[in-house]
Amino acid sequence: MADFVEADNAEAIIARIETKSRKIESLLKQYKHVEALKTALEGSPPKTRDERCKSANWIVVHRAIMAIKDIDGLLNALDAEYYDILMKYLYRGLSTGDRPTCDQCLKIHEKLTERAGLGCILRCLTDTVNTV
Amino acid sequence: MAVVDVHRFSESITCHAWSPDYSMVALCPNNNEVHIYKSSQDQWERLHVLQKHDQIVSGIDWSSKSNKIVTVSHDRNSYVWSLEGGEWVPTLVILRLNRAALCVQWSPNENKFAVGSGAKTVCICYYEQENNWWVSKLIRKRHESSVTSVAWHPNNILLATTSTDGKCRVFSTFIKGVDTKDSKAGSPAETKFGEQIIQLDLSYSWAFGVKWSPSGNTLAYVGHSSMIYFVDDVGPSPLAQSVAFRDLPLRDVLFISEKMVIGVGYDSNPMVFAADDTGIWSFIRYIGEKKAESSGSSYSSQFSEAFGKFYGSQSKSATANDASESRGGVHDNCINFIVSLSKAGSPKVMRFSTSGLDGKIAIWDLENMQEELGHQF
Repeated sequence: MADFVEADNAEAIIARIETKSRKIESLLKQYKHVEALKTALEGSPPKTRDERCKSANWIVVHRAIMAIKDIDGLLNALDAEYYDILMKYLYRGLSTGDRPTCDQCLKIHEKLTERAGLGCILRCLTDTVNTV
Repeated sequence: MAVVDVHRFSESITCHAWSPDYSMVALCPNNNEVHIYKSSQDQWERLHVLQKHDQIVSGIDWSSKSNKIVTVSHDRNSYVWSLEGGEWVPTLVILRLNRAALCVQWSPNENKFAVGSGAKTVCICYYEQENNWWVSKLIRKRHESSVTSVAWHPNNILLATTSTDGKCRVFSTFIKGVDTKDSKAGSPAETKFGEQIIQLDLSYSWAFGVKWSPSGNTLAYVGHSSMIYFVDDVGPSPLAQSVAFRDLPLRDVLFISEKMVIGVGYDSNPMVFAADDTGIWSFIRYIGEKKAESSGSSYSSQFSEAFGKFYGSQSKSATANDASESRGGVHDNCINFIVSLSKAGSPKVMRFSTSGLDGKIAIWDLENMQEELGHQF
């Protein structure tokens, strides 16, 4: 568990994230918000220590989160395995202090907690190894 | 409801243990004493107060065959108490610790006991007949942080430990002269004291409450991230499963049958987990509720207030989590400890007791819940 996936070096991951970001832009243009968020959350590189990879992925996820209008629909369509990752990104969003981001993150946080329970929040807080 | 008896003994209870005939309970009321209560006609009367420790007693275990009580405390000491002429007489056990002792358990044959400590060590103590005192052997290697919980395998040699470094480890505690080498038992590793058999890296956060299943085939422990881990076929190729659940973390677990586990923790309500026929473990239900999930109304009024502040003007819908205070209603605060009330080694546990920070001990009986719990029980 301690050996992080350094086989992909940071550049390769960032390149992957850029491809992902283009894909997400196109999905958003087609109003497929749920798909966009799923793509953004997938392949989140939690096992890299590299800050740049995490920031790059955050930008992509942030774009997808801000585009969401229908939160209930989103959570209905999202599988349970994504709840924990989404919650981590929500906290990252809340930590930015930026008003529109926080507004959006809070809205989603409320609904997500209803669905996933306090355990989801606990898993975010206690997991200091796989951070986003 | 499966609760048979609830009694509030003090402000807060750290740990408790039952006498061999389950008529008396020894508990620590969150101070340096051990109180022994006897139940008679619905009343609990205090029989003894054992005062020897200087700091909080963090672990108590009462052996069922030899009727000895072992207590460990944050004062780094341990005492073995024997009943002589109606009084409990302590014998000091020198653990050689430089940090607090956190948990203790008698081995199945009661010739040894294991103590987990904040000194990142586990002490295995056994009785030396020639010198007439208890000797402690330390397992110093491996643990990177405090050992929060210990559990003996039915074979009296393997010991599972959990630690705040998130890992669960199984060690051999074979002691020459105390344990007999069983020729058909496992690997040569099992006959060396302090040898680590396996290490389980499933948790990213603190691990608590490890227990073996009645046959010793499965291990269960909890992590502070609201997860419970099950490991089947403990050995060279274990089958591990992590189950994430909705609510607050657990602190302790108990196997009530080979395929069913009860977890207790910060939700103040015991949770039932079971393995289905394919061996996949999952959360089944809270012990007090019907199977139908109640969505939204599972938060007490305090949470509603807190969420209200958090979301503030955001949520237009009133945080309509109704103020149903009781989620099961028995314990008001975190449950730390769950103890079986059935004979050790029996494959099914019909009764168990829980104690918590609210100072209550509740006794639960599963006699009438057989159909509700399903065929895994």
